[in-house]
Amino acid sequence: MTPVLEIRRASKSFGSHRVLHDVSFAVYAGEVHALVGENGAGKSTLMNIIGGIHRRDAGEIMLNAEPIDPLDPWQARQLGISVVFQELSLTPNMTVAQNIFVRREPTSALGLIHWRQLNDDARALFERIGIDISPTELVGNYSVGIQQIIEIAKAISFDAKVLIMDEPTSALSESEVDRLFSIIAELKQQGVAIVFISHKLGEVLRIADRVSVLRDGEMVGVVNPSDSNQDEIIHMMVGRSLGDLYPAKGVVSDEVLLEVEGLSHPPLFHDISFSLRRGEILGIAGLIGAGRTEVARAIFGADRYSRGSVKLAGIKLDLKSPRQAIAHGIVYLTEDRKVMGLFLSMTMRDNIVSSSLARFTDALGLLKHRAIADESLRAIKQNDIRPRDDLLSMTSLSGGNQQKSLLAKCLSANPKVLIADEPTRGVDVGAKVKIHQALRDLANRGIGVIVISSELPEVLGLSDRVVVFREGHVSAVLDGDNIAQADVMRYAVQ
Amino acid sequence: MHDMQILKSKQSDGAGLLQRFSLETLQIGGLALAIVVFAIIVQMNFPVFLSLPNINVMIVNFLPEAIIALGMTIVIITAGIDLSVAGIYPFSAIIVGLLLLAGAPIPLAIIITLAAGAFIGAINAFISNTFRVHPFIATLAILLILRGVNIIITGGSPVSGFPETFAIVGQRGIDFGTFLLRYSVFIWLALALLIGYLLRNHRFWRLSYFIGGNRRSARMSGVNVERYLYFVYMLSGALAAVAGVIVASQFNAASNSYGQNLELRVITAVVIGGADLNGGAGSVLGSMLGVLFIAMIYNAFAMSGISTYWQDVVVGAMLLASILMGEVLKRRRAN
Repeated sequence: MTPVLEIRRASKSFGSHRVLHDVSFAVYAGEVHALVGENGAGKSTLMNIIGGIHRRDAGEIMLNAEPIDPLDPWQARQLGISVVFQELSLTPNMTVAQNIFVRREPTSALGLIHWRQLNDDARALFERIGIDISPTELVGNYSVGIQQIIEIAKAISFDAKVLIMDEPTSALSESEVDRLFSIIAELKQQGVAIVFISHKLGEVLRIADRVSVLRDGEMVGVVNPSDSNQDEIIHMMVGRSLGDLYPAKGVVSDEVLLEVEGLSHPPLFHDISFSLRRGEILGIAGLIGAGRTEVARAIFGADRYSRGSVKLAGIKLDLKSPRQAIAHGIVYLTEDRKVMGLFLSMTMRDNIVSSSLARFTDALGLLKHRAIADESLRAIKQNDIRPRDDLLSMTSLSGGNQQKSLLAKCLSANPKVLIADEPTRGVDVGAKVKIHQALRDLANRGIGVIVISSELPEVLGLSDRVVVFREGHVSAVLDGDNIAQADVMRYAVQ
Repeated sequence: MHDMQILKSKQSDGAGLLQRFSLETLQIGGLALAIVVFAIIVQMNFPVFLSLPNINVMIVNFLPEAIIALGMTIVIITAGIDLSVAGIYPFSAIIVGLLLLAGAPIPLAIIITLAAGAFIGAINAFISNTFRVHPFIATLAILLILRGVNIIITGGSPVSGFPETFAIVGQRGIDFGTFLLRYSVFIWLALALLIGYLLRNHRFWRLSYFIGGNRRSARMSGVNVERYLYFVYMLSGALAAVAGVIVASQFNAASNSYGQNLELRVITAVVIGGADLNGGAGSVLGSMLGVLFIAMIYNAFAMSGISTYWQDVVVGAMLLASILMGEVLKRRRAN
């Protein structure tokens, strides 16, 4: 059988930096082929070459045994290769159908759009993948998860023979992931070849027929999920054994640092109570929409709550703004680092000190530049951010290093309590391990750490105790070394 | 029709109203309502307001800005801005006048002038595309240059004495005895209907909403955004030239003093009409109502004898009110 898509010995360099070297890769009709590797391993470059964004330096791309040479994403799509990129490419102010068929609307000879036909086409498309989305609704009114599905519908509407998905689950809740997977299964049935790029190995093993591993621009191997496991794949990805994926748990003191009692803000959350001890990592698990982020923001003073109390070291706090929270030693590492946490167009140095500027200003309010430079260099060293040039703009850093900078920013405020919301979303395995270690180091220094994560293994591996949220309520507080994933899941959904 | 429905459902159920109509419909409906209420109030105090001679005055003031607002609407939908229209408008009035005085045939003079307007639009797009500067800066630079050029080529005094037949465009019309329906009204109406229709229904024209809504997404969908922006700014420039030709014909004269602060009035009108300066939203109907509203306000103040300084206060307040209304509607809808 010939593969639908085959890459033969592709190479690509940017300047003197070699990103891909002699990479070969094939995907067959009806196959889900996962592509994994650390950030910087060359996955995105490989996809960009196939999708027509970059030109390869050497090698061949074969579609149904015919060599092709897509010049741009549009052309690649016309050929039957559709890439669903990580960042959504939909326009929120237009309807679903308009977004899907932009530039391909059914029109009269004069170019006037047949609206009914357009919406019917969209409906037929959704029927094909077995979902129910209104073609006439504005895209912006749907959640990110649904938008992801609309994006996929758009991709296959080009009669895609090959569908490439780059981190399609990074913004999805568990139930949305299930929905996505059933769509993938449906497309598989219809003979579409699917390339699935993901950091989440659990998902990869669940959905993939084969897994290709890239490391430092080279193809290290192709494995079959049924006779492999997560550890082996991680080993292939990093070229070394990571040892235990999660840092050893620490010694938690009995001293309660933060106490949340009966916190309510209907309809978002109701009667939330839990406590955080010095030196503890408290995990908060739950589905997206269970109220985890909302509670964290309320504790941080970013949003109001209507009832209940938050006590820090026994003293009741009445925080009206994040500024007051930071002054009390509570910092919040945001879920969406690009939107809320970092100033992307500014330098790493500006970012690192941005929430602790009070410490670096003199009586007149002027900045102490020398002290700021010292602090940022210290933070870069401590958090192992690369490259070690604090005058670089944030945009030039990889996702993992951006996340580490965000952590450094929080730490430079000398917190007592750190709330980390999805601290490892979208970062590669290597950076993940470092972030986990950094969080544990903080706890060991006596800081109370709250970790909110949608990845169950992460919550369980990292936390001393786990609070499970369900529909705005605390459904369980689990303690001990051997909390089972299934238990947490049960409390999260039932 | 919509006004009636909005009124009815407002009394019964506010939430239903939000769901039943799109944001655009609500904003346009609200604006139309404001125009009607305003007209009634002014009419009750100054019965001359809706008299035929005064309506004629309003039309004369309304037309050029309405035509320029057509182009500005598309520019703003693509998340751009075009300040240079206030330079192109007097510039094209002067150019068409100078060409006529030099003996050029009327159709040729008009065509050259429209081409010049489009060419200046192309320069706007070129600067903004090539040097990646915000259109605000590119078109501001062109506006300033044109203001200077306009004075230089006229020596600061008006150009006049055009051939008799040129007056047809802006002065003649269908005579109803007490009321003259000028031909220029038909030019505006034809342009507004055509552009409004295309912007709603034509594949190519609709791309402006995609470019303004998410430029990256438009690019990924294979839109040549830069080339499209050439089209948009050339259209805006050409429409400003149409307005310039009409005004030259109307007054049988061209002066560099035409169109003072016109760019801001037009932008204000388009935003009051529901366009979003962040791009992706706007409509011809809304913009036309916006221009009408502003024209009415200025007219009412000029007539009333209240200090005309108050008119800017009212227009500014209206702009704020419409933006606030848009925001409130958006938020209510999101909840």
